[in-house]
Amino acid sequence: MKYAFFPGCTMAYRLPFVEKSIRLVAPHFNIELVDLPFTCCPEPNSVRSFSDETWLALAARNLALAEKSKLDVLTACTGCHESFMTAKHELDTHPDRKDAVNEVLGEIGMEYTGVSAVKHMHQVLFDDIGPEAIAEKVKRPLELRVVTHSGCHMLRPEAILQIDDCEAPVKFDGLVEVLGIEPLEYMDKTMCCGTGTRRANREASFAILREKMTSMKMVNPDAAVVFCPSCFISFESGQRIVNKTFGTDFKLPVYYYTELLAVALEIPGMVPIIKAHRVKGPVTASAPGVPGEGRPVEAKN
Amino acid sequence: MTDTKTPEEIESIIESIRPCFQCGICASSCPVFRVAPEINPRHAIDEIVKTGVIEPDGTEWSCAYCLMCEQRCPMGVSLAHLLVAVKNISTEKGNAPEGLPEIIHSILSTGVIAQDSDLDKMREKYDLPPLKRPTAKEVRKVLELTGATDLLELYQSKGVGSD
Ligand code: SF4
Ligand code: SF4
Repeated sequence: MKYAFFPGCTMAYRLPFVEKSIRLVAPHFNIELVDLPFTCCPEPNSVRSFSDETWLALAARNLALAEKSKLDVLTACTGCHESFMTAKHELDTHPDRKDAVNEVLGEIGMEYTGVSAVKHMHQVLFDDIGPEAIAEKVKRPLELRVVTHSGCHMLRPEAILQIDDCEAPVKFDGLVEVLGIEPLEYMDKTMCCGTGTRRANREASFAILREKMTSMKMVNPDAAVVFCPSCFISFESGQRIVNKTFGTDFKLPVYYYTELLAVALEIPGMVPIIKAHRVKGPVTASAPGVPGEGRPVEAKN
Repeated sequence: MTDTKTPEEIESIIESIRPCFQCGICASSCPVFRVAPEINPRHAIDEIVKTGVIEPDGTEWSCAYCLMCEQRCPMGVSLAHLLVAVKNISTEKGNAPEGLPEIIHSILSTGVIAQDSDLDKMREKYDLPPLKRPTAKEVRKVLELTGATDLLELYQSKGVGSD
Protein backbone atom coordinates (compact mmCIF):
# COMPACT_ATOMS: atom_id res chain seq x y z
CA MET A 1 0.00 0.00 0.00
CA LYS A 2 1.28 3.42 -0.98
CA TYR A 3 0.75 6.45 1.27
CA ALA A 4 1.64 10.12 1.38
CA PHE A 5 3.73 9.99 4.54
CA PHE A 6 3.20 12.78 7.04
CA PRO A 7 5.77 12.50 9.86
CA GLY A 8 4.89 15.97 11.20
CA CYS A 9 7.25 18.71 12.39
CA THR A 10 7.92 17.23 15.83
CA MET A 11 8.95 13.83 14.57
CA ALA A 12 10.81 15.11 11.51
CA TYR A 13 12.89 17.71 13.28
CA ARG A 14 13.05 16.65 16.91
CA LEU A 15 12.83 12.84 16.81
CA PRO A 16 14.22 11.89 13.39
CA PHE A 17 15.39 8.56 14.82
CA VAL A 18 11.76 7.61 15.48
CA GLU A 19 10.88 8.53 11.91
CA LYS A 20 13.74 6.31 10.80
CA SER A 21 12.21 3.36 12.67
CA ILE A 22 8.97 3.83 10.72
CA ARG A 23 10.84 3.97 7.42
CA LEU A 24 12.75 0.81 8.39
CA VAL A 25 9.60 -1.09 9.34
CA ALA A 26 7.39 0.02 6.43
CA PRO A 27 8.79 -2.20 3.63
CA HIS A 28 8.38 -5.29 5.82
CA PHE A 29 4.63 -4.71 5.67
CA ASN A 30 4.51 -3.62 2.04
CA ILE A 31 3.96 0.00 2.99
CA GLU A 32 5.43 2.46 0.52
CA LEU A 33 6.01 5.99 1.81
CA VAL A 34 5.86 8.98 -0.54
CA ASP A 35 7.18 12.40 0.57
CA LEU A 36 5.25 15.48 -0.50
CA PRO A 37 5.92 19.21 0.14
CA PHE A 38 3.59 19.46 3.14
CA THR A 39 3.35 22.34 5.57
CA CYS A 40 2.85 21.89 9.31
CA CYS A 41 -0.41 19.92 9.71
CA PRO A 42 -1.11 22.60 11.30
CA GLU A 43 -0.93 22.01 15.00
CA PRO A 44 -4.34 22.68 16.63
CA ASN A 45 -2.99 23.96 19.93
CA SER A 46 -1.06 26.70 18.25
CA VAL A 47 -2.39 27.44 14.78
CA ARG A 48 -6.05 26.63 15.40
CA SER A 49 -5.99 28.60 18.64
CA PHE A 50 -4.51 31.53 16.74
CA SER A 51 -6.91 31.37 13.80
CA ASP A 52 -9.46 28.69 13.06
CA GLU A 53 -9.64 29.81 9.41
CA THR A 54 -5.89 29.53 8.89
CA TRP A 55 -5.83 26.12 10.54
CA LEU A 56 -8.60 24.80 8.29
CA ALA A 57 -7.11 26.21 5.08
CA LEU A 58 -3.59 24.87 5.75
CA ALA A 59 -4.92 21.43 6.67
CA ALA A 60 -7.05 21.44 3.50
CA ARG A 61 -3.99 22.38 1.45
CA ASN A 62 -2.07 19.38 2.79
CA LEU A 63 -4.98 17.06 2.12
CA ALA A 64 -5.44 18.53 -1.36
CA LEU A 65 -1.76 17.84 -2.05
CA ALA A 66 -2.29 14.14 -1.24
CA GLU A 67 -5.42 14.15 -3.39
CA LYS A 68 -3.40 15.47 -6.33
CA SER A 69 -1.10 12.46 -6.02
CA LYS A 70 -4.13 10.16 -5.56
CA LEU A 71 -2.84 8.99 -2.21
CA ASP A 72 -4.21 8.52 1.29
CA VAL A 73 -2.27 10.19 4.08
CA LEU A 74 -0.35 8.18 6.67
CA THR A 75 0.22 10.05 9.92
CA ALA A 76 2.66 9.15 12.69
CA CYS A 77 1.82 11.82 15.24
CA THR A 78 -1.51 11.82 17.06
CA GLY A 79 -1.58 15.64 17.03
CA CYS A 80 -1.31 15.76 13.24
CA HIS A 81 -3.82 12.95 12.97
CA GLU A 82 -6.44 14.70 15.10
CA SER A 83 -5.83 17.95 13.24
CA PHE A 84 -6.38 16.35 9.81
CA MET A 85 -9.36 14.28 10.89
CA THR A 86 -11.08 17.20 12.60
CA ALA A 87 -10.41 19.50 9.64
CA LYS A 88 -11.65 16.85 7.23
CA HIS A 89 -14.81 16.42 9.29
CA GLU A 90 -15.34 20.18 9.39
CA LEU A 91 -14.89 20.47 5.61
CA ASP A 92 -16.95 17.41 4.71
CA THR A 93 -19.90 18.37 6.92
CA HIS A 94 -19.94 22.15 6.34
CA PRO A 95 -20.22 22.92 2.62
CA ASP A 96 -20.01 26.67 3.34
CA ARG A 97 -16.65 26.26 5.06
CA LYS A 98 -15.42 23.97 2.31
CA ASP A 99 -16.36 26.57 -0.31
CA ALA A 100 -14.60 29.32 1.61
CA VAL A 101 -11.47 27.19 1.94
CA ASN A 102 -11.52 26.25 -1.73
CA GLU A 103 -11.71 29.91 -2.63
CA VAL A 104 -8.42 30.36 -0.76
CA LEU A 105 -6.88 27.22 -2.25
CA GLY A 106 -7.96 28.31 -5.73
CA GLU A 107 -5.50 31.21 -5.38
CA ILE A 108 -2.64 28.71 -5.18
CA GLY A 109 -4.05 26.39 -7.83
CA MET A 110 -5.39 23.73 -5.49
CA GLU A 111 -8.72 22.25 -4.50
CA TYR A 112 -9.93 20.13 -1.60
CA THR A 113 -12.54 17.52 -2.51
CA GLY A 114 -12.22 15.07 0.39
CA VAL A 115 -11.30 11.88 -1.46
CA SER A 116 -8.08 11.11 0.40
CA ALA A 117 -8.43 9.20 3.66
CA VAL A 118 -6.18 9.86 6.65
CA LYS A 119 -4.82 6.96 8.67
CA HIS A 120 -2.53 6.82 11.66
CA MET A 121 0.27 4.23 11.73
CA HIS A 122 -1.57 2.61 14.66
CA GLN A 123 -4.62 1.98 12.46
CA VAL A 124 -2.61 0.57 9.57
CA LEU A 125 -0.83 -1.82 11.92
CA PHE A 126 -3.86 -2.92 13.93
CA ASP A 127 -6.81 -2.63 11.56
CA ASP A 128 -5.22 -3.27 8.15
CA ILE A 129 -2.28 -5.56 8.87
CA GLY A 130 -3.49 -7.01 12.14
CA PRO A 131 -1.74 -8.31 15.28
CA GLU A 132 -1.70 -11.92 13.97
CA ALA A 133 0.22 -10.98 10.83
CA ILE A 134 2.68 -8.98 12.95
CA ALA A 135 3.12 -11.90 15.37
CA GLU A 136 4.14 -14.14 12.48
CA LYS A 137 7.07 -11.86 11.70
CA VAL A 138 8.43 -11.55 15.24
CA LYS A 139 11.86 -13.14 15.58
CA ARG A 140 12.81 -12.00 19.06
CA PRO A 141 10.03 -11.63 21.58
CA LEU A 142 10.83 -8.75 23.92
CA GLU A 143 10.25 -9.83 27.47
CA LEU A 144 9.17 -6.51 28.88
CA ARG A 145 6.34 -5.20 31.03
CA VAL A 146 5.13 -1.85 29.73
CA VAL A 147 2.44 0.76 30.05
CA THR A 148 0.95 1.99 26.79
CA HIS A 149 -0.18 5.59 26.34
CA SER A 150 -2.40 6.00 23.28
CA GLY A 151 -2.50 9.77 23.71
CA CYS A 152 -5.42 12.18 23.76
CA HIS A 153 -5.56 12.70 20.02
CA MET A 154 -5.44 9.02 19.16
CA LEU A 155 -8.63 8.59 21.20
CA ARG A 156 -10.54 11.87 21.08
CA PRO A 157 -12.77 13.13 19.55
CA GLU A 158 -13.89 9.51 19.55
CA ALA A 159 -16.81 9.93 17.12
CA ILE A 160 -14.55 11.48 14.47
CA LEU A 161 -11.38 9.44 14.96
CA GLN A 162 -13.00 6.05 15.63
CA ILE A 163 -9.69 4.39 16.43
CA ASP A 164 -10.44 2.73 19.75
CA ASP A 165 -12.69 2.96 22.80
CA CYS A 166 -11.74 6.30 24.27
CA GLU A 167 -12.34 5.33 27.90
CA ALA A 168 -10.94 1.80 27.73
CA PRO A 169 -8.60 1.43 24.75
CA VAL A 170 -7.34 -2.11 24.05
CA LYS A 171 -5.83 -2.08 20.57
CA PHE A 172 -2.46 -0.57 21.49
CA ASP A 173 -2.05 -3.23 24.20
CA GLY A 174 -2.86 -5.86 21.57
CA LEU A 175 -0.10 -4.49 19.35
CA VAL A 176 2.55 -4.69 22.08
CA GLU A 177 1.39 -8.15 23.21
CA VAL A 178 2.29 -9.73 19.88
CA LEU A 179 5.87 -8.54 20.40
CA GLY A 180 6.06 -10.72 23.51
CA ILE A 181 5.50 -7.71 25.75
CA GLU A 182 3.13 -7.67 28.70
CA PRO A 183 0.91 -4.55 28.69
CA LEU A 184 -0.04 -3.40 32.18
CA GLU A 185 -3.36 -1.86 33.13
CA TYR A 186 -2.97 1.38 35.05
CA MET A 187 -5.24 3.94 36.60
CA ASP A 188 -4.91 7.05 34.44
CA LYS A 189 -4.45 5.27 31.12
CA THR A 190 -6.47 7.72 29.04
CA MET A 191 -5.26 10.85 30.83
CA CYS A 192 -3.37 13.58 29.01
CA CYS A 193 0.44 13.85 29.41
CA GLY A 194 0.17 17.62 29.85
CA THR A 195 2.02 18.64 26.73
CA GLY A 196 -0.89 20.70 25.38
CA THR A 197 -0.55 23.41 27.97
CA ARG A 198 3.25 23.49 28.25
CA ARG A 199 3.53 26.86 26.54
CA ALA A 200 0.71 28.59 28.36
CA ASN A 201 0.86 27.07 31.83
CA ARG A 202 4.19 25.38 32.38
CA GLU A 203 3.58 24.64 36.03
CA ALA A 204 0.24 22.92 35.46
CA SER A 205 1.61 21.02 32.49
CA PHE A 206 4.38 19.40 34.53
CA ALA A 207 2.02 18.77 37.43
CA ILE A 208 -0.22 16.85 35.00
CA LEU A 209 2.80 14.87 33.82
CA ARG A 210 3.66 14.09 37.46
CA GLU A 211 0.12 12.75 38.03
CA LYS A 212 0.24 10.68 34.87
CA MET A 213 3.66 9.20 35.59
CA THR A 214 2.78 8.50 39.23
CA SER A 215 -0.08 6.40 37.94
CA MET A 216 2.24 4.60 35.51
CA LYS A 217 4.84 3.94 38.17
CA MET A 218 2.32 2.27 40.46
CA VAL A 219 2.41 -0.84 38.25
CA ASN A 220 6.21 -0.82 38.02
CA PRO A 221 6.70 -0.96 34.24
CA ASP A 222 10.02 -1.43 32.40
CA ALA A 223 9.04 1.27 29.91
CA ALA A 224 6.26 3.41 28.49
CA VAL A 225 5.26 2.92 24.86
CA VAL A 226 3.71 5.72 22.81
CA PHE A 227 2.44 6.39 19.29
CA CYS A 228 3.11 10.13 19.19
CA PRO A 229 6.34 12.16 19.10
CA SER A 230 4.92 14.89 21.34
CA CYS A 231 3.96 12.37 24.01
CA PHE A 232 7.42 10.80 23.59
CA ILE A 233 9.17 14.10 24.30
CA SER A 234 6.73 14.93 27.07
CA PHE A 235 7.55 11.72 28.94
CA GLU A 236 11.22 11.33 28.10
CA SER A 237 12.44 14.89 28.60
CA GLY A 238 9.61 16.02 30.85
CA GLN A 239 10.32 13.53 33.62
CA ARG A 240 13.61 15.25 34.40
CA ILE A 241 11.84 18.56 34.90
CA VAL A 242 9.16 16.83 36.99
CA ASN A 243 11.89 15.29 39.13
CA LYS A 244 13.57 18.67 39.62
CA THR A 245 10.33 20.48 40.32
CA PHE A 246 8.55 17.99 42.54
CA GLY A 247 11.40 15.91 43.99
CA THR A 248 10.23 12.73 42.29
CA ASP A 249 12.64 10.13 40.90
CA PHE A 250 11.13 8.98 37.62
CA LYS A 251 13.49 7.17 35.31
CA LEU A 252 11.15 5.60 32.82
CA PRO A 253 12.43 4.67 29.36
CA VAL A 254 10.10 5.64 26.51
CA TYR A 255 9.68 3.96 23.13
CA TYR A 256 7.64 4.74 20.06
CA TYR A 257 5.89 1.53 19.00
CA THR A 258 7.69 1.02 15.68
CA GLU A 259 11.06 1.09 17.46
CA LEU A 260 10.08 -1.98 19.49
CA LEU A 261 8.51 -3.53 16.42
CA ALA A 262 11.74 -3.12 14.46
CA VAL A 263 13.80 -4.65 17.28
CA ALA A 264 11.42 -7.60 17.63
CA LEU A 265 11.60 -8.17 13.87
CA GLU A 266 15.42 -7.95 14.06
CA ILE A 267 15.48 -5.31 11.36
CA PRO A 268 19.06 -4.07 10.94
CA GLY A 269 19.91 -0.43 11.54
CA MET A 270 18.30 -0.04 14.96
CA VAL A 271 21.49 0.42 17.02
CA PRO A 272 21.85 4.20 16.52
CA ILE A 273 18.12 4.62 17.03
CA ILE A 274 18.04 2.92 20.41
CA LYS A 275 21.23 4.79 21.32
CA ALA A 276 19.53 8.12 20.69
CA HIS A 277 17.26 7.62 23.70
CA ARG A 278 18.01 9.89 26.63
CA VAL A 279 16.64 7.58 29.30
CA LYS A 280 18.45 4.33 28.63
CA GLY A 281 16.12 1.37 28.61
CA PRO A 282 16.28 -2.42 28.73
CA VAL A 283 16.03 -2.89 24.97
CA THR A 284 19.15 -3.44 22.92
CA ALA A 285 19.06 -3.54 19.17
CA SER A 286 20.70 -6.37 17.36
CA ALA A 287 23.65 -5.56 15.18
CA PRO A 288 24.41 -8.70 13.22
CA GLY A 289 28.02 -9.73 13.62
CA VAL A 290 28.67 -7.56 16.65
CA PRO A 291 29.25 -9.79 19.68
CA GLY A 292 27.12 -8.97 22.66
CA GLU A 293 24.60 -6.94 20.68
CA GLY A 294 22.36 -9.86 19.94
CA ARG A 295 20.49 -10.22 23.20
CA PRO A 296 16.95 -8.93 23.04
CA VAL A 297 16.62 -7.72 26.58
CA GLU A 298 19.27 -6.99 29.15
CA ALA A 299 18.71 -7.85 32.77
CA LYS A 300 16.93 -4.89 34.26
CA ASN A 301 18.18 -2.91 37.20
CA MET B 1 -9.53 41.22 9.20
CA THR B 2 -11.33 38.09 8.05
CA ASP B 3 -10.98 36.40 11.38
CA THR B 4 -13.17 38.43 13.67
CA LYS B 5 -16.19 36.53 14.87
CA THR B 6 -19.47 38.07 13.81
CA PRO B 7 -22.22 38.62 16.41
CA GLU B 8 -24.16 35.79 14.71
CA GLU B 9 -21.22 33.44 15.13
CA ILE B 10 -20.86 34.36 18.79
CA GLU B 11 -24.60 33.86 19.26
CA SER B 12 -24.48 30.42 17.66
CA ILE B 13 -21.56 29.40 19.89
CA ILE B 14 -23.47 30.50 22.98
CA GLU B 15 -26.56 28.65 21.72
CA SER B 16 -24.50 25.49 21.37
CA ILE B 17 -23.44 25.50 25.03
CA ARG B 18 -26.88 26.37 26.43
CA PRO B 19 -27.81 22.69 27.13
CA CYS B 20 -25.18 22.71 29.91
CA PHE B 21 -26.86 21.99 33.26
CA GLN B 22 -23.70 22.50 35.35
CA CYS B 23 -23.19 18.85 36.33
CA GLY B 24 -19.43 19.33 36.59
CA ILE B 25 -18.40 16.15 34.77
CA CYS B 26 -16.21 18.25 32.47
CA ALA B 27 -14.32 19.73 35.42
CA SER B 28 -13.87 16.39 37.14
CA SER B 29 -12.47 14.97 33.87
CA CYS B 30 -10.11 17.87 33.23
CA PRO B 31 -6.39 17.22 33.86
CA VAL B 32 -5.72 20.93 34.29
CA PHE B 33 -8.46 21.31 36.90
CA ARG B 34 -6.96 18.31 38.71
CA VAL B 35 -3.70 20.17 39.35
CA ALA B 36 -4.87 23.80 39.11
CA PRO B 37 -8.45 24.01 40.46
CA GLU B 38 -8.64 27.73 39.65
CA ILE B 39 -9.12 26.64 36.03
CA ASN B 40 -12.58 25.17 35.71
CA PRO B 41 -14.32 24.49 32.38
CA ARG B 42 -17.72 24.33 34.10
CA HIS B 43 -17.31 27.86 35.45
CA ALA B 44 -16.11 29.10 32.08
CA ILE B 45 -19.32 27.87 30.46
CA ASP B 46 -21.52 29.21 33.22
CA GLU B 47 -19.97 32.66 32.88
CA ILE B 48 -20.61 32.79 29.13
CA VAL B 49 -24.18 31.48 29.33
CA LYS B 50 -25.02 33.89 32.15
CA THR B 51 -23.47 37.02 30.65
CA GLY B 52 -24.12 36.26 26.97
CA VAL B 53 -20.66 37.48 26.02
CA ILE B 54 -17.34 35.74 25.47
CA GLU B 55 -14.81 37.66 27.51
CA PRO B 56 -11.47 35.79 27.53
CA ASP B 57 -9.69 36.18 30.89
CA GLY B 58 -6.46 34.39 29.98
CA THR B 59 -7.29 31.05 31.61
CA GLU B 60 -8.48 29.73 28.24
CA TRP B 61 -4.84 29.22 27.27
CA SER B 62 -4.33 26.75 30.12
CA CYS B 63 -6.61 24.25 28.39
CA ALA B 64 -4.45 21.38 27.17
CA TYR B 65 -6.95 20.53 24.39
CA CYS B 66 -7.15 16.94 25.63
CA LEU B 67 -10.87 16.79 24.71
CA MET B 68 -11.87 14.71 27.74
CA CYS B 69 -14.46 17.30 28.84
CA GLU B 70 -16.37 17.19 25.61
CA GLN B 71 -16.05 13.41 25.38
CA ARG B 72 -17.79 12.96 28.72
CA CYS B 73 -20.32 15.79 28.68
CA PRO B 74 -23.75 14.17 29.01
CA MET B 75 -25.35 17.06 27.11
CA GLY B 76 -23.06 16.87 24.10
CA VAL B 77 -21.64 20.31 24.68
CA SER B 78 -18.59 20.77 22.48
CA LEU B 79 -16.15 22.48 24.79
CA ALA B 80 -13.35 22.11 22.27
CA HIS B 81 -15.28 24.20 19.80
CA LEU B 82 -16.00 26.77 22.46
CA LEU B 83 -12.42 26.88 23.67
CA VAL B 84 -11.06 27.38 20.16
CA ALA B 85 -13.46 30.30 19.73
CA VAL B 86 -12.40 31.79 23.08
CA LYS B 87 -8.72 31.43 22.16
CA ASN B 88 -9.33 33.00 18.73
CA ILE B 89 -11.02 36.01 20.36
CA SER B 90 -8.22 36.24 22.89
CA THR B 91 -5.69 36.20 20.03
CA GLU B 92 -7.50 39.06 18.30
CA LYS B 93 -7.26 41.08 21.50
CA GLY B 94 -3.49 40.64 21.49
CA ASN B 95 -3.43 38.11 24.31
CA ALA B 96 -1.96 35.03 22.63
CA PRO B 97 0.62 33.47 24.95
CA GLU B 98 4.31 33.98 24.50
CA GLY B 99 5.72 31.76 21.79
CA LEU B 100 2.53 31.37 19.79
CA PRO B 101 3.10 34.24 17.32
CA GLU B 102 6.64 32.88 16.83
CA ILE B 103 5.16 29.56 15.73
CA ILE B 104 2.92 31.28 13.18
CA HIS B 105 5.94 33.24 12.02
CA SER B 106 7.92 30.02 11.63
CA ILE B 107 5.17 28.54 9.48
CA LEU B 108 5.00 31.74 7.42
CA SER B 109 8.72 31.64 6.68
CA THR B 110 9.40 27.88 6.42
CA GLY B 111 6.01 26.18 6.17
CA VAL B 112 6.83 24.12 9.25
CA ILE B 113 7.50 24.49 12.96
CA ALA B 114 11.26 24.27 13.09
CA GLN B 115 13.71 26.90 14.20
CA ASP B 116 16.68 26.55 11.90
CA SER B 117 18.05 24.76 8.88
CA ASP B 118 20.51 22.84 11.05
CA LEU B 119 17.64 20.55 11.87
CA ASP B 120 18.08 18.86 8.52
CA LYS B 121 21.55 17.92 9.78
CA MET B 122 19.93 15.85 12.51
CA ARG B 123 17.97 14.03 9.83
CA GLU B 124 21.16 13.36 7.86
CA LYS B 125 22.62 11.68 10.92
CA TYR B 126 19.97 8.99 10.57
CA ASP B 127 20.27 8.88 6.82
CA LEU B 128 16.88 10.48 6.31
CA PRO B 129 16.04 12.55 3.23
CA PRO B 130 15.52 16.29 3.76
CA LEU B 131 11.77 16.82 3.69
CA LYS B 132 10.21 18.56 0.74
CA ARG B 133 9.00 22.03 1.64
CA PRO B 134 6.16 24.06 0.16
CA THR B 135 6.99 27.29 -1.64
CA ALA B 136 7.06 30.33 0.65
CA LYS B 137 4.71 32.10 -1.75
CA GLU B 138 1.82 29.67 -1.43
CA VAL B 139 2.09 29.47 2.36
CA ARG B 140 2.08 33.27 2.60
CA LYS B 141 -0.94 33.44 0.33
CA VAL B 142 -2.95 31.06 2.53
CA LEU B 143 -1.97 32.91 5.68
CA GLU B 144 -2.80 36.27 4.12
CA LEU B 145 -6.19 35.22 2.83
CA THR B 146 -7.20 33.74 6.17
CA GLY B 147 -6.16 36.72 8.27
CA ALA B 148 -3.11 35.23 9.98
CA THR B 149 -0.63 37.74 8.59
CA ASP B 150 -2.79 40.65 9.82
CA LEU B 151 -2.97 39.05 13.25
CA LEU B 152 0.77 38.49 13.21
CA GLU B 153 1.33 42.19 12.49
CA LEU B 154 -0.53 42.99 15.66
CA TYR B 155 2.06 41.00 17.59
CA GLN B 156 5.01 42.18 15.53
CA SER B 157 4.17 45.75 16.46
CA LYS B 158 4.75 44.50 19.99
CA GLY B 159 8.14 43.16 18.91
CA VAL B 160 7.24 39.53 18.50
CA GLY B 161 8.34 37.21 15.73
CA SER B 162 9.99 39.90 13.61
CA ASP B 163 13.32 39.28 11.96
S1 SF4 C 1 -20.13 18.18 31.48
FE1 SF4 C 1 -21.44 19.29 30.01
S2 SF4 C 1 -23.38 19.65 31.08
FE2 SF4 C 1 -21.88 19.04 32.64
S3 SF4 C 1 -21.09 21.02 33.41
FE3 SF4 C 1 -19.71 20.36 31.78
S4 SF4 C 1 -20.49 21.35 29.90
FE4 SF4 C 1 -22.13 21.45 31.45
S1 SF4 D 1 -9.95 19.98 26.67
FE1 SF4 D 1 -9.16 21.56 28.05
S2 SF4 D 1 -10.88 22.08 29.41
FE2 SF4 D 1 -11.38 20.13 28.41
S3 SF4 D 1 -10.69 18.55 29.85
FE3 SF4 D 1 -9.00 18.90 28.42
S4 SF4 D 1 -7.71 20.47 29.38
FE4 SF4 D 1 -9.71 20.48 30.45
